[in-house]
Amino acid sequence: MNKIEVEICMGTTCFIMGAESLQELASILQRKYPDKVDTKGIVCHGFCNTDCQYSKAPYVKVAGDVISEATVEKVLAAVEKKLGEEA
Amino acid sequence: MFVDINCTQEKKYNQNAFGDYFISKRHKGRLIAVLSDGLGSGIKANILSCMTATMLLRFIEAQRNIKAACEIILNSLPVCQVRQISYSTFSALDCTDNGDVKIVEEGNPQFIWMKKNGEIIEPECKIINSRTFSNRHMKIYHIRMDLGDRLIFCSDGVTQSGLGGENLKLGLRRSGLIDVIKKKLKHQSDISSRELSKYIVEYAKYIDNKHAKDDISACVVHFTKLRKLCVFTGPPYHSEKDSEYAKIFDEFDGKKAICGGTTANLISRELNREIITESPFNTGRLPACSSMEGVDLITEGILTLSLANEYLEDETRINEINAATRLVNLILDNDYILFMVGAQLNQAHYDPNLPIEIEIRKNVIKKMKRILEEKYTKRVKIQYM
Repeated sequence: MNKIEVEICMGTTCFIMGAESLQELASILQRKYPDKVDTKGIVCHGFCNTDCQYSKAPYVKVAGDVISEATVEKVLAAVEKKLGEEA
Repeated sequence: MFVDINCTQEKKYNQNAFGDYFISKRHKGRLIAVLSDGLGSGIKANILSCMTATMLLRFIEAQRNIKAACEIILNSLPVCQVRQISYSTFSALDCTDNGDVKIVEEGNPQFIWMKKNGEIIEPECKIINSRTFSNRHMKIYHIRMDLGDRLIFCSDGVTQSGLGGENLKLGLRRSGLIDVIKKKLKHQSDISSRELSKYIVEYAKYIDNKHAKDDISACVVHFTKLRKLCVFTGPPYHSEKDSEYAKIFDEFDGKKAICGGTTANLISRELNREIITESPFNTGRLPACSSMEGVDLITEGILTLSLANEYLEDETRINEINAATRLVNLILDNDYILFMVGAQLNQAHYDPNLPIEIEIRKNVIKKMKRILEEKYTKRVKIQYM
Protein backbone atom coordinates (compact mmCIF):
# COMPACT_ATOMS: atom_id res chain seq x y z
CA MET A 1 0.00 0.00 0.00
CA ASN A 2 1.28 3.44 -0.88
CA LYS A 3 1.69 5.84 1.98
CA ILE A 4 -0.81 8.67 2.23
CA GLU A 5 1.00 11.93 1.71
CA VAL A 6 0.13 14.83 4.03
CA GLU A 7 1.66 18.16 2.94
CA ILE A 8 1.52 21.05 5.40
CA CYS A 9 2.00 24.51 3.87
CA MET A 10 4.89 26.37 5.52
CA GLY A 11 4.18 29.71 3.84
CA THR A 12 3.76 32.93 5.77
CA THR A 13 -0.04 33.21 5.56
CA CYS A 14 -0.68 29.58 6.49
CA PHE A 15 1.82 29.71 9.33
CA ILE A 16 0.23 32.66 11.08
CA MET A 17 -3.30 31.40 10.34
CA GLY A 18 -2.61 28.23 12.29
CA ALA A 19 -0.09 26.00 10.51
CA GLU A 20 2.10 26.54 13.55
CA SER A 21 -0.22 24.33 15.60
CA LEU A 22 -0.25 21.81 12.75
CA GLN A 23 3.28 20.90 13.78
CA GLU A 24 1.48 18.99 16.49
CA LEU A 25 -0.51 17.20 13.79
CA ALA A 26 2.71 16.07 12.18
CA SER A 27 3.87 14.38 15.37
CA ILE A 28 0.42 12.84 16.03
CA LEU A 29 0.34 11.32 12.54
CA GLN A 30 3.84 10.01 12.86
CA ARG A 31 3.02 8.38 16.16
CA LYS A 32 -0.37 7.01 15.13
CA TYR A 33 0.31 5.83 11.59
CA PRO A 34 4.09 5.57 11.22
CA ASP A 35 3.84 3.12 8.30
CA LYS A 36 0.79 4.49 6.56
CA VAL A 37 1.20 8.25 6.47
CA ASP A 38 4.06 10.42 5.27
CA THR A 39 3.93 13.96 6.65
CA LYS A 40 6.05 16.73 5.24
CA GLY A 41 6.25 20.49 4.95
CA ILE A 42 5.87 22.31 1.63
CA VAL A 43 7.37 25.77 1.17
CA CYS A 44 4.13 27.28 -0.17
CA HIS A 45 1.15 25.83 -2.02
CA GLY A 46 0.32 29.31 -3.29
CA PHE A 47 -3.40 28.91 -2.49
CA CYS A 48 -3.47 31.99 -0.25
CA ASN A 49 -2.64 34.17 -3.25
CA THR A 50 -5.40 32.80 -5.48
CA ASP A 51 -8.02 32.41 -2.77
CA CYS A 52 -7.10 35.43 -0.67
CA GLN A 53 -10.44 37.17 -0.45
CA TYR A 54 -11.80 34.17 1.43
CA SER A 55 -8.93 33.82 3.93
CA LYS A 56 -9.06 30.07 4.06
CA ALA A 57 -5.51 29.49 5.24
CA PRO A 58 -3.98 27.28 6.53
CA TYR A 59 -3.99 24.78 3.72
CA VAL A 60 -3.01 21.14 3.95
CA LYS A 61 -3.02 18.56 1.16
CA VAL A 62 -4.04 14.99 2.04
CA ALA A 63 -3.25 12.59 -0.81
CA GLY A 64 -3.66 15.46 -3.26
CA ASP A 65 -6.96 16.79 -1.85
CA VAL A 66 -6.81 20.35 -0.60
CA ILE A 67 -8.13 21.02 2.89
CA SER A 68 -8.70 24.69 3.64
CA GLU A 69 -8.93 26.21 7.12
CA ALA A 70 -7.13 23.09 8.23
CA THR A 71 -7.19 22.03 11.86
CA VAL A 72 -5.72 19.00 13.55
CA GLU A 73 -9.19 17.40 13.73
CA LYS A 74 -10.08 18.15 10.10
CA VAL A 75 -6.85 16.70 8.75
CA LEU A 76 -7.01 13.65 11.03
CA ALA A 77 -10.55 12.95 9.83
CA ALA A 78 -9.48 13.27 6.18
CA VAL A 79 -6.53 10.97 6.73
CA GLU A 80 -8.71 8.37 8.47
CA LYS A 81 -11.27 8.59 5.68
CA LYS A 82 -8.54 7.93 3.11
CA LEU A 83 -7.20 5.04 5.17
CA GLY A 84 -10.75 3.60 5.35
CA GLU A 85 -11.13 3.86 1.55
CA GLU A 86 -7.88 2.08 0.98
CA ALA A 87 -8.47 -0.68 3.53
CA MET B 1 41.60 41.40 1.12
CA PHE B 2 38.72 41.70 3.51
CA VAL B 3 39.25 42.30 7.22
CA ASP B 4 36.91 40.04 9.22
CA ILE B 5 36.85 41.41 12.76
CA ASN B 6 34.86 40.27 15.73
CA CYS B 7 35.01 40.56 19.49
CA THR B 8 33.34 38.30 22.04
CA GLN B 9 33.04 39.27 25.68
CA GLU B 10 32.02 37.78 29.00
CA LYS B 11 31.32 39.66 32.23
CA LYS B 12 33.09 38.85 35.44
CA TYR B 13 30.93 36.42 37.41
CA ASN B 14 28.20 38.12 39.40
CA GLN B 15 28.70 41.50 37.74
CA ASN B 16 25.95 43.15 35.78
CA ALA B 17 28.09 45.24 33.42
CA PHE B 18 31.03 44.50 31.16
CA GLY B 19 34.33 45.93 32.43
CA ASP B 20 35.99 45.65 29.01
CA TYR B 21 34.83 47.67 26.02
CA PHE B 22 35.28 47.01 22.34
CA ILE B 23 34.44 49.37 19.51
CA SER B 24 35.24 49.33 15.80
CA LYS B 25 34.51 51.41 12.76
CA ARG B 26 34.92 50.76 9.09
CA HIS B 27 35.18 53.52 6.55
CA LYS B 28 35.87 52.67 2.91
CA GLY B 29 39.08 50.58 2.98
CA ARG B 30 40.04 51.53 6.54
CA LEU B 31 39.18 49.76 9.77
CA ILE B 32 39.80 51.16 13.24
CA ALA B 33 39.19 49.20 16.43
CA VAL B 34 39.89 49.67 20.12
CA LEU B 35 39.72 47.19 22.99
CA SER B 36 39.95 48.72 26.43
CA ASP B 37 40.01 47.11 29.87
CA GLY B 38 38.75 49.31 32.69
CA LEU B 39 40.23 49.13 36.18
CA GLY B 40 38.26 46.82 38.46
CA SER B 41 34.96 45.40 37.28
CA GLY B 42 31.27 46.22 36.98
CA ILE B 43 29.86 49.65 36.27
CA LYS B 44 32.98 51.62 37.22
CA ALA B 45 35.19 49.57 34.90
CA ASN B 46 32.54 49.79 32.20
CA ILE B 47 32.52 53.59 32.31
CA LEU B 48 36.31 53.82 32.30
CA SER B 49 36.84 51.41 29.42
CA CYS B 50 33.91 52.81 27.44
CA MET B 51 35.26 56.37 27.72
CA THR B 52 38.79 55.34 26.79
CA ALA B 53 37.72 53.23 23.82
CA THR B 54 35.19 55.64 22.33
CA MET B 55 37.43 58.69 22.77
CA LEU B 56 40.42 56.87 21.32
CA LEU B 57 38.42 55.67 18.33
CA ARG B 58 37.29 59.22 17.58
CA PHE B 59 40.80 60.62 18.05
CA ILE B 60 42.30 58.08 15.65
CA GLU B 61 39.55 58.73 13.16
CA ALA B 62 40.00 62.49 13.31
CA GLN B 63 43.80 62.59 13.53
CA ARG B 64 44.39 60.04 10.77
CA ASN B 65 47.44 59.18 12.89
CA ILE B 66 47.19 56.47 15.50
CA LYS B 67 50.42 57.41 17.29
CA ALA B 68 49.40 61.00 17.98
CA ALA B 69 45.90 59.93 19.05
CA CYS B 70 47.18 57.31 21.48
CA GLU B 71 49.77 59.69 22.93
CA ILE B 72 47.01 62.06 23.99
CA ILE B 73 45.39 59.27 25.98
CA LEU B 74 48.78 58.00 27.24
CA ASN B 75 49.60 61.41 28.67
CA SER B 76 46.23 62.24 30.10
CA LEU B 77 44.64 59.04 31.39
CA PRO B 78 44.42 59.39 35.18
CA VAL B 79 45.99 57.02 37.69
CA CYS B 80 43.95 55.42 40.46
CA GLN B 81 45.04 57.08 43.72
CA VAL B 82 44.65 53.88 45.71
CA ARG B 83 46.30 51.37 43.44
CA GLN B 84 48.66 53.70 41.59
CA ILE B 85 47.81 52.13 38.22
CA SER B 86 46.08 53.51 35.13
CA TYR B 87 42.33 53.73 35.08
CA SER B 88 42.26 51.69 31.91
CA THR B 89 44.46 49.87 29.44
CA PHE B 90 43.96 49.67 25.69
CA SER B 91 44.91 48.06 22.39
CA ALA B 92 44.22 50.10 19.27
CA LEU B 93 44.25 48.92 15.69
CA ASP B 94 44.27 50.95 12.48
CA CYS B 95 44.42 48.94 9.28
CA THR B 96 43.63 49.00 5.60
CA ASP B 97 42.30 46.16 3.50
CA ASN B 98 45.59 45.85 1.66
CA GLY B 99 47.13 44.59 4.91
CA ASP B 100 48.90 47.67 6.25
CA VAL B 101 48.46 47.51 10.03
CA LYS B 102 49.37 49.84 12.86
CA ILE B 103 48.85 48.72 16.43
CA VAL B 104 49.32 50.58 19.69
CA GLU B 105 49.21 48.79 23.05
CA GLU B 106 49.14 50.17 26.54
CA GLY B 107 48.86 47.67 29.37
CA ASN B 108 46.84 44.94 27.62
CA PRO B 109 48.40 41.52 26.93
CA GLN B 110 50.57 41.58 23.81
CA PHE B 111 48.61 40.70 20.67
CA ILE B 112 49.26 37.47 18.76
CA TRP B 113 50.15 37.51 15.05
CA MET B 114 49.52 34.13 13.52
CA LYS B 115 50.35 33.36 9.91
CA LYS B 116 48.12 31.18 7.76
CA ASN B 117 50.37 28.16 8.43
CA GLY B 118 50.15 28.64 12.21
CA GLU B 119 53.57 30.26 12.59
CA ILE B 120 53.76 32.96 15.26
CA ILE B 121 55.63 36.14 14.45
CA GLU B 122 56.90 38.44 17.18
CA PRO B 123 57.32 41.79 15.45
CA GLU B 124 59.56 44.59 16.66
CA CYS B 125 57.98 47.56 18.33
CA LYS B 126 58.82 51.11 19.18
CA ILE B 127 58.35 52.14 22.79
CA ILE B 128 57.08 55.61 23.61
CA ASN B 129 57.24 56.82 27.18
CA SER B 130 54.61 59.06 28.65
CA ARG B 131 55.66 62.66 29.23
CA THR B 132 53.48 62.94 32.29
CA PHE B 133 53.62 59.53 33.97
CA SER B 134 57.05 58.02 34.55
CA ASN B 135 55.92 54.39 34.76
CA ARG B 136 53.69 54.46 31.70
CA HIS B 137 54.60 53.67 28.11
CA MET B 138 53.00 52.43 24.95
CA LYS B 139 54.20 50.09 22.20
CA ILE B 140 53.74 50.88 18.53
CA TYR B 141 53.86 48.24 15.81
CA HIS B 142 53.75 48.74 12.08
CA ILE B 143 53.31 45.42 10.31
CA ARG B 144 52.13 43.98 7.02
CA MET B 145 49.54 41.22 6.77
CA ASP B 146 49.23 38.58 4.09
CA LEU B 147 46.10 36.76 3.02
CA GLY B 148 45.08 34.30 5.74
CA ASP B 149 46.95 36.04 8.60
CA ARG B 150 45.21 36.55 11.92
CA LEU B 151 45.67 38.99 14.79
CA ILE B 152 44.31 38.11 18.21
CA PHE B 153 43.82 40.72 20.92
CA CYS B 154 42.55 39.97 24.38
CA SER B 155 42.08 41.41 27.83
CA ASP B 156 44.02 39.92 30.76
CA GLY B 157 40.86 38.02 31.69
CA VAL B 158 41.87 35.55 28.95
CA THR B 159 45.59 35.19 29.70
CA GLN B 160 44.96 34.98 33.44
CA SER B 161 42.02 32.57 33.21
CA GLY B 162 42.46 29.39 35.22
CA LEU B 163 44.86 31.18 37.55
CA GLY B 164 45.52 29.26 40.74
CA GLY B 165 43.74 26.16 39.45
CA GLU B 166 45.03 22.59 39.58
CA ASN B 167 46.63 22.51 36.15
CA LEU B 168 47.39 26.13 35.44
CA LYS B 169 48.93 27.69 38.50
CA LEU B 170 49.92 30.78 36.54
CA GLY B 171 46.84 30.84 34.37
CA LEU B 172 46.49 30.23 30.66
CA ARG B 173 49.05 32.90 29.74
CA ARG B 174 49.83 34.04 26.22
CA SER B 175 51.71 30.84 25.37
CA GLY B 176 48.74 28.72 26.49
CA LEU B 177 46.37 30.84 24.43
CA ILE B 178 48.56 30.36 21.35
CA ASP B 179 48.35 26.57 21.81
CA VAL B 180 44.56 26.71 22.21
CA ILE B 181 44.19 28.73 18.99
CA LYS B 182 46.61 26.51 17.05
CA LYS B 183 44.69 23.39 18.06
CA LYS B 184 41.38 24.92 17.03
CA LEU B 185 42.74 26.08 13.67
CA LYS B 186 44.14 22.63 12.95
CA HIS B 187 40.59 21.30 12.76
CA GLN B 188 38.93 24.42 11.39
CA SER B 189 41.44 26.48 9.44
CA ASP B 190 38.77 28.71 7.87
CA ILE B 191 36.91 29.49 11.13
CA SER B 192 35.33 32.95 11.14
CA SER B 193 36.53 35.62 13.57
CA ARG B 194 33.16 35.48 15.25
CA GLU B 195 33.43 31.78 15.98
CA LEU B 196 37.10 31.87 16.97
CA SER B 197 36.62 34.78 19.39
CA LYS B 198 33.62 32.98 20.86
CA TYR B 199 35.68 29.82 21.25
CA ILE B 200 38.51 31.66 23.06
CA VAL B 201 36.09 33.30 25.49
CA GLU B 202 34.24 30.03 26.14
CA TYR B 203 37.57 28.28 26.74
CA ALA B 204 38.77 30.94 29.20
CA LYS B 205 35.48 30.82 31.05
CA TYR B 206 35.58 27.04 31.15
CA ILE B 207 39.02 26.88 32.77
CA ASP B 208 37.81 29.50 35.25
CA ASN B 209 35.34 26.78 36.37
CA LYS B 210 32.60 28.43 34.30
CA HIS B 211 32.58 31.49 36.56
CA ALA B 212 34.73 34.16 34.91
CA LYS B 213 37.13 35.56 37.52
CA ASP B 214 37.61 38.75 35.51
CA ASP B 215 36.06 40.40 32.47
CA ILE B 216 37.03 38.33 29.45
CA SER B 217 37.35 39.74 25.91
CA ALA B 218 38.85 38.27 22.77
CA CYS B 219 39.06 40.11 19.48
CA VAL B 220 40.05 38.27 16.32
CA VAL B 221 41.05 40.01 13.10
CA HIS B 222 41.33 37.82 10.01
CA PHE B 223 42.67 39.00 6.66
CA THR B 224 40.65 36.91 4.30
CA LYS B 225 39.00 36.77 0.94
CA LEU B 226 35.69 38.57 0.85
CA ARG B 227 32.99 36.08 1.85
CA LYS B 228 29.82 36.80 -0.09
CA LEU B 229 26.19 35.94 0.46
CA CYS B 230 23.15 36.59 -1.74
CA VAL B 231 19.69 36.60 -0.16
CA PHE B 232 16.85 36.37 -2.68
CA THR B 233 13.51 37.38 -1.21
CA GLY B 234 10.20 38.11 -2.90
CA PRO B 235 9.08 37.56 -6.49
CA PRO B 236 10.18 40.22 -9.03
CA TYR B 237 7.57 42.88 -9.87
CA HIS B 238 7.54 41.91 -13.55
CA SER B 239 7.13 38.17 -13.60
CA GLU B 240 8.51 37.96 -17.15
CA LYS B 241 11.89 38.75 -15.58
CA ASP B 242 11.77 35.76 -13.20
CA SER B 243 14.12 33.63 -15.29
CA GLU B 244 16.64 36.44 -15.73
CA TYR B 245 16.85 37.08 -11.98
CA ALA B 246 16.92 33.37 -11.16
CA LYS B 247 19.92 33.05 -13.46
CA ILE B 248 21.72 36.00 -11.81
CA PHE B 249 21.08 34.38 -8.42
CA ASP B 250 22.32 31.00 -9.59
CA GLU B 251 25.51 32.49 -10.99
CA PHE B 252 26.28 34.50 -7.84
CA ASP B 253 29.81 33.79 -6.67
CA GLY B 254 29.25 32.97 -2.98
CA LYS B 255 26.74 31.49 -0.54
CA LYS B 256 23.03 31.69 -1.35
CA ALA B 257 19.81 31.90 0.65
CA ILE B 258 16.16 32.18 -0.34
CA CYS B 259 13.63 33.71 2.06
CA GLY B 260 10.04 33.07 1.03
CA GLY B 261 7.91 30.13 -0.04
CA THR B 262 6.66 31.68 -3.28
CA THR B 263 10.18 32.83 -4.06
CA ALA B 264 11.58 29.32 -3.48
CA ASN B 265 8.94 27.88 -5.82
CA LEU B 266 9.87 30.47 -8.44
CA ILE B 267 13.59 29.61 -8.31
CA SER B 268 12.76 25.89 -8.29
CA ARG B 269 10.63 26.34 -11.41
CA GLU B 270 13.14 28.53 -13.26
CA LEU B 271 16.22 26.44 -12.44
CA ASN B 272 14.32 23.16 -12.61
CA ARG B 273 15.55 21.99 -9.21
CA GLU B 274 13.58 20.22 -6.55
CA ILE B 275 12.89 21.73 -3.12
CA ILE B 276 13.40 19.35 -0.23
CA THR B 277 11.63 20.46 2.93
CA GLU B 278 13.11 19.48 6.25
CA SER B 279 11.03 17.80 8.92
CA PRO B 280 8.21 20.09 10.04
CA PHE B 281 8.67 19.00 13.68
CA ASN B 282 10.28 21.10 16.39
CA THR B 283 11.00 24.10 14.25
CA GLY B 284 10.47 26.56 17.09
CA ARG B 285 8.65 29.83 16.47
CA LEU B 286 9.03 29.63 12.68
CA PRO B 287 8.22 27.32 9.76
CA ALA B 288 10.74 24.64 8.76
CA CYS B 289 13.69 25.27 6.45
CA SER B 290 14.20 23.61 3.08
CA SER B 291 17.07 22.94 0.77
CA MET B 292 17.82 22.88 -2.94
CA GLU B 293 20.91 21.96 -4.90
CA GLY B 294 23.21 24.99 -5.09
CA VAL B 295 21.36 26.93 -2.35
CA ASP B 296 22.63 26.99 1.22
CA LEU B 297 19.39 27.82 3.03
CA ILE B 298 15.70 28.23 2.21
CA THR B 299 13.36 29.73 4.79
CA GLU B 300 9.89 31.21 4.96
CA GLY B 301 9.93 34.93 4.14
CA ILE B 302 8.77 37.85 6.18
CA LEU B 303 8.29 36.23 9.63
CA THR B 304 11.79 34.74 9.47
CA LEU B 305 13.35 38.00 8.27
CA SER B 306 11.55 39.98 10.99
CA LEU B 307 12.71 37.63 13.74
CA ALA B 308 16.24 37.63 12.27
CA ASN B 309 16.20 41.42 12.67
CA GLU B 310 15.24 41.04 16.33
CA TYR B 311 18.11 38.59 16.83
CA LEU B 312 20.58 40.85 15.03
CA GLU B 313 19.57 43.79 17.21
CA ASP B 314 20.11 41.76 20.36
CA GLU B 315 21.88 38.41 20.07
CA THR B 316 20.95 37.48 23.64
CA ARG B 317 17.37 36.96 22.41
CA ILE B 318 18.44 33.85 20.51
CA ASN B 319 17.07 31.05 22.65
CA GLU B 320 16.32 28.30 20.14
CA ILE B 321 17.55 26.94 16.83
CA ASN B 322 15.04 27.99 14.21
CA ALA B 323 15.08 29.30 10.65
CA ALA B 324 15.95 32.84 11.79
CA THR B 325 18.89 31.61 13.90
CA ARG B 326 20.24 29.75 10.89
CA LEU B 327 19.77 32.77 8.64
CA VAL B 328 21.53 35.03 11.17
CA ASN B 329 24.47 32.62 11.41
CA LEU B 330 24.76 32.51 7.63
CA ILE B 331 24.63 36.30 7.36
CA LEU B 332 27.16 36.91 10.13
CA ASP B 333 29.63 34.44 8.64
CA ASN B 334 29.80 36.51 5.46
CA ASP B 335 31.20 39.98 4.87
CA TYR B 336 29.35 41.18 1.81
CA ILE B 337 25.61 40.63 1.62
CA LEU B 338 23.55 41.27 -1.49
CA PHE B 339 19.79 41.34 -1.00
CA MET B 340 17.79 40.72 -4.17
CA VAL B 341 14.38 42.04 -3.16
CA GLY B 342 11.31 41.36 -5.28
CA ALA B 343 8.68 44.09 -5.20
CA GLN B 344 5.66 41.91 -5.88
CA LEU B 345 3.27 41.81 -2.93
CA ASN B 346 1.33 38.83 -1.69
CA GLN B 347 -2.21 40.23 -1.33
CA ALA B 348 -3.08 37.65 1.32
CA HIS B 349 -0.55 39.25 3.69
CA TYR B 350 -2.60 42.44 3.83
CA ASP B 351 -5.87 40.79 4.70
CA PRO B 352 -7.11 42.64 7.80
CA ASN B 353 -8.33 39.31 9.19
CA LEU B 354 -4.78 38.10 9.78
CA PRO B 355 -4.06 37.88 13.50
CA ILE B 356 -0.76 39.76 13.26
CA GLU B 357 0.47 42.61 11.13
CA ILE B 358 2.90 41.59 8.42
CA GLU B 359 5.58 44.13 7.68
CA ILE B 360 6.45 45.23 4.19
CA ARG B 361 9.42 43.26 2.89
CA LYS B 362 11.25 46.33 1.62
CA ASN B 363 11.20 47.95 5.07
CA VAL B 364 12.35 44.80 6.85
CA ILE B 365 15.33 44.50 4.49
CA LYS B 366 16.16 48.21 4.82
CA LYS B 367 16.23 47.82 8.58
CA MET B 368 18.43 44.73 8.30
CA LYS B 369 20.86 46.63 6.06
CA ARG B 370 21.17 49.39 8.64
CA ILE B 371 21.82 46.97 11.53
CA LEU B 372 24.35 44.96 9.53
CA GLU B 373 26.26 48.05 8.48
CA GLU B 374 26.19 49.88 11.78
CA LYS B 375 26.48 47.09 14.31
CA TYR B 376 28.36 44.41 12.41
CA THR B 377 30.37 46.57 9.94
CA LYS B 378 29.16 44.44 7.00
CA ARG B 379 29.03 45.61 3.41
CA VAL B 380 25.44 45.45 2.24
CA LYS B 381 23.77 46.10 -1.09
CA ILE B 382 20.08 45.97 -1.93
CA GLN B 383 18.90 45.32 -5.46
CA TYR B 384 15.19 45.80 -6.02
CA MET B 385 13.60 43.71 -8.69
